[in-house]
Amino acid sequence: MGTSSALRDLQRDLENKANDLSKLQKDIAKNHQVRKKYTIQLGENELVLKELDLLNEDANVYKLIGPVLVKQDLAEANANVRKRIEYISAELKRLDATLQDLEEKQNSKRDMILKLQQRIQSLQAGKAKA
Amino acid sequence: MEEGASGTVTSLASMFPADEAQKAARRVQDTIAEKHRELGRVRGFIADNAGLVNLVQKLPEELHHDVMVPFGKAAFFPGRLIHTNEFMVLLGEGYYAERTSKQTVEILRRRGKALETHVDSLKSMIEDLKTEALFFDRTASEAAEGLVEITEELSGEESDEGASELGQKTGAPSISVEDNGKVLNEDEEYDRLMSKLDELEKEELAAEAADNIEEETNEVDPDVVSDQSSFDHNLKDMEGSHSCIPPTHSEGQASNEEFLRRKQQQPALLQKFNPDDLTIASSHKDKTPLGKDPSQNLKDPNVADKSLKLPASEENDHAGSSNNEVSIQPSKPKVDSLRAFTGSIIERSPNLPINPGEPSATSSQVPGSQSSKPLSRFRMQRK
Repeated sequence: MGTSSALRDLQRDLENKANDLSKLQKDIAKNHQVRKKYTIQLGENELVLKELDLLNEDANVYKLIGPVLVKQDLAEANANVRKRIEYISAELKRLDATLQDLEEKQNSKRDMILKLQQRIQSLQAGKAKA
Repeated sequence: MEEGASGTVTSLASMFPADEAQKAARRVQDTIAEKHRELGRVRGFIADNAGLVNLVQKLPEELHHDVMVPFGKAAFFPGRLIHTNEFMVLLGEGYYAERTSKQTVEILRRRGKALETHVDSLKSMIEDLKTEALFFDRTASEAAEGLVEITEELSGEESDEGASELGQKTGAPSISVEDNGKVLNEDEEYDRLMSKLDELEKEELAAEAADNIEEETNEVDPDVVSDQSSFDHNLKDMEGSHSCIPPTHSEGQASNEEFLRRKQQQPALLQKFNPDDLTIASSHKDKTPLGKDPSQNLKDPNVADKSLKLPASEENDHAGSSNNEVSIQPSKPKVDSLRAFTGSIIERSPNLPINPGEPSATSSQVPGSQSSKPLSRFRMQRK
């Protein structure tokens, strides 16, 4: 009888862990999505920077703010884009770190789940023998 | 068979159920279709870009053009395009620059180049995926045909070239019959094997000292060990020092890897489980549906258990036992956890549970029958 209640406990535990694991997996998927978005933005910004670098000093540069084009200094625009690239790179690095963290957590959770399953199985085997 | 060699025979179907493999193949096909769509889209961009370049080049040829100006969604009225050499070019991220026609064309050309590199990368991706799909299809058909994998391992003193030789020999007969296992049972091999076993024993004991701690615990108490951890350290073993691995493991793997490296292309043969692939794979593991794991894991403890009983099984074989439920290396779990992912090519690990007829899920019944078998002398000594 004692083993069966222990078994139930273990199974409940296992369920909780499985839920945690799926939550982690969802987080990881979200992280992937956000990262994809940032990567695309980074690519676009780099393209802009390249084009801005190719412009002449006296070229007119405008920024679309809402419905209007606002004239901007080329140097200013350049600095802005650079800053934006910096920000995005930092953000990507941060996302990488969180992703690594999440994956570590996921692996340890998976380990725990495997161990639990084995415990349950050995318990069941013991019960079957008895 | 080869002198002193012991081995296992496994049906592919027990390792890679045909429908699973087909599912994987389908998923890869889906990805390919998706990439094809993207490729089509990018090609559309390129065509648009080329048209735009054309137009931008032609516009300044006239001082002004008579055009129909769109007004709202449905209305047009006649108008005239002037300043035909002045363009406001969107650079991206909301930045615009005033450019002449010539400068605009330059920008557009650069963009076209970027698009072309994109197309190239997409094409190579599709190529990769196609090979992957081919592999899955082949695995599925092989599993359906009841192909078996024969794994042999070398004893310690045999050299590396011996390994490759052996690998070749092993691989050649990929026969789809259960009585492959009986080949191992031949009596005249028994004496030779026993002496080999003694040597193996000594070597393994020596190697064990150098082996890592997880390995130790793994062998002492196989029932408690998580196969994930055994998977992990197995991975480590494969990546790191082969020399640390007990001869049973390292040599067996070496022979397989060697042979598989050579034979990878041939359909009837098996492919090695490459550590690099593993690391790629592990990042994709999270895509494995959660629901899949428990059922797979059900059988894992036994595998970890079984994997350590190699010597015992050898003895069984000689005793004429019909029991073939042996797997050599404890690396099986990684295959389980990777079976369903689609990120990179899955290759087969060298060790497989042996009984072709038995569906993998039912192997949970095994411990009872297995535990009654004589203990390996290796393990007895250790305890």
